[in-house]
Amino acid sequence: MSSMTMERSMWSIDSRTIVYAAIGAALYGVLALFSVVIPGSNNVSVRPAFAIVPFFGYAFGPIVGLFTGLVGNAIVDQLSGYGLLTAWNWHIANGLVGLLAGLFAATSIARLGGNKIIGSAVVAALAVAIGFLFVFTDMVVFGNDFNTALSGSYLWVLVPNLIASVILVPILVLAWEPLKESLGR
Amino acid sequence: MISTPRYLGRGSWLGRRDPRVPLLVGVLAAATVIQIWDIRIVAVLFILGQLYYRTAGIPFRLVRKQWAFAIVFVSILVLVNTILTGGEIGDYDRSDLHVLFHLPLIGTPISAESLSYGATQLLRFLTFITIGFPIAYAIAPSDLGPALARLRIPEKFAFGVDLTYRFIPSLAADLQETIDAQRVRGYEWDKGKGGPIARVRRTVPLIVPLTMNAIVGAEDTIDAMDLRGFGTGRRTWLRELRYDRDDRLLVGIALGIFAAITVLSVAGLTKLWVFPPLLAAAGG
Repeated sequence: MSSMTMERSMWSIDSRTIVYAAIGAALYGVLALFSVVIPGSNNVSVRPAFAIVPFFGYAFGPIVGLFTGLVGNAIVDQLSGYGLLTAWNWHIANGLVGLLAGLFAATSIARLGGNKIIGSAVVAALAVAIGFLFVFTDMVVFGNDFNTALSGSYLWVLVPNLIASVILVPILVLAWEPLKESLGR
Repeated sequence: MISTPRYLGRGSWLGRRDPRVPLLVGVLAAATVIQIWDIRIVAVLFILGQLYYRTAGIPFRLVRKQWAFAIVFVSILVLVNTILTGGEIGDYDRSDLHVLFHLPLIGTPISAESLSYGATQLLRFLTFITIGFPIAYAIAPSDLGPALARLRIPEKFAFGVDLTYRFIPSLAADLQETIDAQRVRGYEWDKGKGGPIARVRRTVPLIVPLTMNAIVGAEDTIDAMDLRGFGTGRRTWLRELRYDRDDRLLVGIALGIFAAITVLSVAGLTKLWVFPPLLAAAGG
């Protein structure tokens, strides 16, 4: 976890939390337009920009991560035409990924392997795998059966987002660490 | 390629409404449609949704791509969900299904129930999307923050949403600048071969500089907010919101429909309606 947690609680909501959260959501919204629908899947997109969600959770805490995923995904759906409320449960799933990344970053999981590359990759992977379990609510929202929710929603969102997160989050963390020092965070 | 929020419903009847109205109508519509599996009722709501959409005055030529994306997206979603996933339908037992034929090669049974379910699902999605467009295009982006705050959403969350919408245009411009700068160096993110991993790796020269620049730039905003004492007291908003008669009427209608559908749903009258011709074709 970043050094700022020594001075601030990870649950505090101040100007820093709000600005980083808004930046994260806006970045996700802007960058997520680089997406490719997997042919033959449940129309789930590979969004490299998804890595922004676990990264902001990892770097700035669970509140920032939650907001980045929740509001960022809502903006993406709105700008694409899919609609703000069509799949509202997926916004929550995205938010949970950011929240969990922030929580795991404060534990020994983030220090696995003795370096931040492996630690951040494991944090991101765990957050994605657990956070997206929320898409099983498709069974309530869309009336899907368990098999459809598992194969058509969970697995198809898990695989591309795991790929994006495990590759990009460590790179973003490596770029952020020296910046964090120079900014005095 | 890069989209930013657009206020296309400016001056329309819905655009002149209190910005809380499209949000409330959207939430109520979502809570209403989610309860219905009878396509006849969904069709009525879809028509009402289209009438509501028309009051937003959104020029079709400016949202043609969004409509095309949404229709293709939900069509594939419905196709995969209802036809290619073993032909299972909600509470129905397999033995109760009226099978019309089996898909070649994969052998999935296509029944009167699965086709009716698919058609209903598609219309449900289109209703959601119809109601969602005015939220995206008939609310001024600068009104979202005050609207959420006045809807009793925690004011820091509302301010965060407001700030997000303010950041998007400048970040989109920064992204375009980054793309252009990388292109000068011979980089094309959408060119080149490879699968998903290669595509992810090709976005690194865009995502990393844009993200780091945004974080460094955020410091100025944080300092400005701190200097103005952000969070030290209750926040007020420059934009004042007040419901008028039309606003109350619209929210009242949406609330009335929600209540009526909830009663019908509790009474078990909104369950899947199977097309009679399909049942007849299946010998049912």
